[in-house]
Amino acid sequence: MTWDFLLGQFATQFGLWWVIVPGILIGIVVGALPGFSAQNTLIMLLPLTLAVPVPTALAFMIALYCATHLAGGIPAILVKIPGTGGAAATTIDGYPMTQKGQAQQALVLCFTASVFGGLISTLVTIGLLPWLSKIGLYLRSVEMVVVMLFGLTLIAVVAAKDLLKGLIAGFFGLLIGVIGTDHIYNTPRATFGFLELYDGVPLVPALIGLFAISEALVMIESKLIVSKEGQGRASHAHWADTVEGLRMAASRWWHIVWTSFVGLFIGIVPGAGASIAAFVAYQQSRMWSKHPQRYGTGIPEGVIAPESANNGVTSGTLVPMMALGVPGGSTAAVMMIVLQYHGMVMGPRLFDTHPEIAYGVFISMAVAYIFMIFTILPLARYMSRIVLIGTSYLVPVIVLMTIVAAFAGRQYQFDMALALVFGVIGYIAHKTDYHVTAILIGVILGPLFEEYLVRSLRISEGDLAILFSSPTANTLWALLVASLALPLVRAWLKQRAG
Amino acid sequence: MSSNETPGSKAPLGADLVIPALALAFAAYFFVSISDLAWEAKANGMLIGGVLLLLIAAQLARVGLRLWAGTADFGFDRLLRPREALAKRIGMVALTALFIFSMDWLGLTLALFLATVAALVLMGVRKPAQLFWTSFGVAVFAYVMFIVVLDAAFPRGPVEVFIARLLS
Repeated sequence: MTWDFLLGQFATQFGLWWVIVPGILIGIVVGALPGFSAQNTLIMLLPLTLAVPVPTALAFMIALYCATHLAGGIPAILVKIPGTGGAAATTIDGYPMTQKGQAQQALVLCFTASVFGGLISTLVTIGLLPWLSKIGLYLRSVEMVVVMLFGLTLIAVVAAKDLLKGLIAGFFGLLIGVIGTDHIYNTPRATFGFLELYDGVPLVPALIGLFAISEALVMIESKLIVSKEGQGRASHAHWADTVEGLRMAASRWWHIVWTSFVGLFIGIVPGAGASIAAFVAYQQSRMWSKHPQRYGTGIPEGVIAPESANNGVTSGTLVPMMALGVPGGSTAAVMMIVLQYHGMVMGPRLFDTHPEIAYGVFISMAVAYIFMIFTILPLARYMSRIVLIGTSYLVPVIVLMTIVAAFAGRQYQFDMALALVFGVIGYIAHKTDYHVTAILIGVILGPLFEEYLVRSLRISEGDLAILFSSPTANTLWALLVASLALPLVRAWLKQRAG
Repeated sequence: MSSNETPGSKAPLGADLVIPALALAFAAYFFVSISDLAWEAKANGMLIGGVLLLLIAAQLARVGLRLWAGTADFGFDRLLRPREALAKRIGMVALTALFIFSMDWLGLTLALFLATVAALVLMGVRKPAQLFWTSFGVAVFAYVMFIVVLDAAFPRGPVEVFIARLLS
C-alpha cells in the first residue's frame, strides 16, 4: 500500500459525493427514528446497491451505516429517546444538558465526538488493518465474559446515588434478558407462553418502552421539557452555542481519541456491538475521571464517551469481514452479501486481489465522516428548537409514533404491547429512582453475557477456572479490578489528604 | 431522606416496593419455568435470580427498618403525584392500549389519526385546527413511512384499502 494508492483512493471516494450525501441524509433519518436500523434499510435498498458498481454501492452503504450511528444520539439528547441501542448511554448526560438549555452544545458534542471518533478509528484501522484483524482471534468467549463485565459494572456506576436500588434494577434487567430459549438446547424459559419471546426480549420495544414511553409519561407533569432557567437559553439559540459546543469538544480531544479506541477494539469482536462499546466507554470515562460524581448531571464527557465509542465501532465491525470473511455485525453481513454478489471473496486474499475494495471500504468511511460533519453540524441549531414544543403536543406524538416504531423491527403487533408494558415499568422505575438505564443495560448485556459464559463453561465442562485460563483474559481481569478499585483508592487518598 | 420528603413527615415507601415486588414475582416465575431444564439452560438464570432475591431481601429489610423506626409509611405518593397529571397519565396508557388493539379493525392510518386526536384532547389541546392538522400530519407520516416506503405488515383498514384502490 503506497501513498499514491491511498491518495488516489481518497480522490475516488470524494468523487462519489453524490451517493455519500444522500446516504448520510437517509442514515440520519433512520438513526434518529427508534425502531429503524441500518441493516433493515440496507436490505430494503438491496436492489439499488446490487445494480450499481461495487465502489458506488459501498460508498452509499457505508455513509448510511455511519450516519445511523451518529444520529441515534439526536433524540437521545433532545427527548431522552435513544434512536439506537448504541445511543442509550448518551441519554445519561445528554438529556440533562438539554434540560439545562444546552441542547445545541450537546448536539454539537455528539456530532463532533461521533465524527472524529469514527474518523480516528477508521484511520487507525487503515494503518493497522493486518494486525487489528488478529485481535478478533485473541478475544474468544472467555475474554468476552470479562468485556461484558466491564459493561455490567456500569450498573453500579449509574446507581451510585442508591446502589441497592440500582443493583435491583440491573439484575431485574439481566433476568429479563435471560427470557427466551437457551443457547444450547433451545428450550424456552419464562416466555409466559408467548412464541414472540422465544428469541428473547426484543431490544427495540424494550428501548422504546423504558426510555420513550416512560419519559413521555413523566413529561406530562410539565409544560416544557427544559427547566425554567433553560428556556431562555433554548429560545435564544445562536451560532455561538454551536461554536461553544465545538470548543467543548476540542478541549476534550484526548477523550474523543481514547474512547474511540474502546469502540474500535470492541467492534472488532464479532457479535459485540455499539451498545456494549458505548456502555463500556461511558463506564471507563467515569471511572478514570477526576470528578466522577458529576457524571449524570449533564457534562460534556458523558456525551463524548458513548458517542465516540459507538462510532469507533463502525470501522471495527468491518475488520473481521474484510480480513477473515466473518461479518462483525448484521449491517456488515448485508454489505458482505452485496460484495459477494459482485464476485468478491472476503478474507485475507482480498487485500491482494482487490486492494481498492479492501482498503477502499475504510477510506470510503473516512470520507463519509468528513462529509458528515459539514452536513449535520449546521443543523444542530435548528434541531435544538424541538425542546421548545409544548409537552401537550410532544407527549401524544412521542407515545404513539414510538409505539408504531416498535412494530417496525420484527413486524409483530405483540412488540407494540410489549413496549407499552416496558413503558409502565420504566415509569415506575423512573419515579422511584430505580434507574431505567440499569434495567436496559441488563436487558442488552444479559443475553450476550449468558451466551459467552455458557460457551466458555461448555468448553471447560462446567469448570469456572476457564475464565482465568488465558493471558488475555487475565490481563482484562486485572484491568477490570483496577478500574473498579481506582475510584475507591482515589477517594481514600482524598479523604486522607483533606 | 429522599427529595420528596419534608422534615417531620413520613417517607412514602410503598412505591419503593413496586419494582422489587415485580422483580420478585418474575424471579419466582422464572425459577418455576426453568426447574426441569439442563444445567446449561438454567445456570445463568439461577445465578442472576439468586443475587436478585438477595438484593430484594436487603431492600425489604431497609424499608422494614424505616417502618419500624416510624420514619416511613406504605404510601404511594411518589407514583401518584402530581394528582392533576394522574388522569392524563392513566388515560395515555389506556388510549395507547386501545390504539394497539383497534388497529386490527381500523388499520394503522385511521387508528393513529383517531388516537392522536384523542391524546391531544386528553393533554388539553382544544383548538380544532391544531387537533386536525397535528393528527393528520402524524397519520400521513406513518402511512408514507410504514405502508408506502417500508411496506410493513401493519393491519390494513379502510384508509389503506381506499388509497390502494384509488392508485391501482
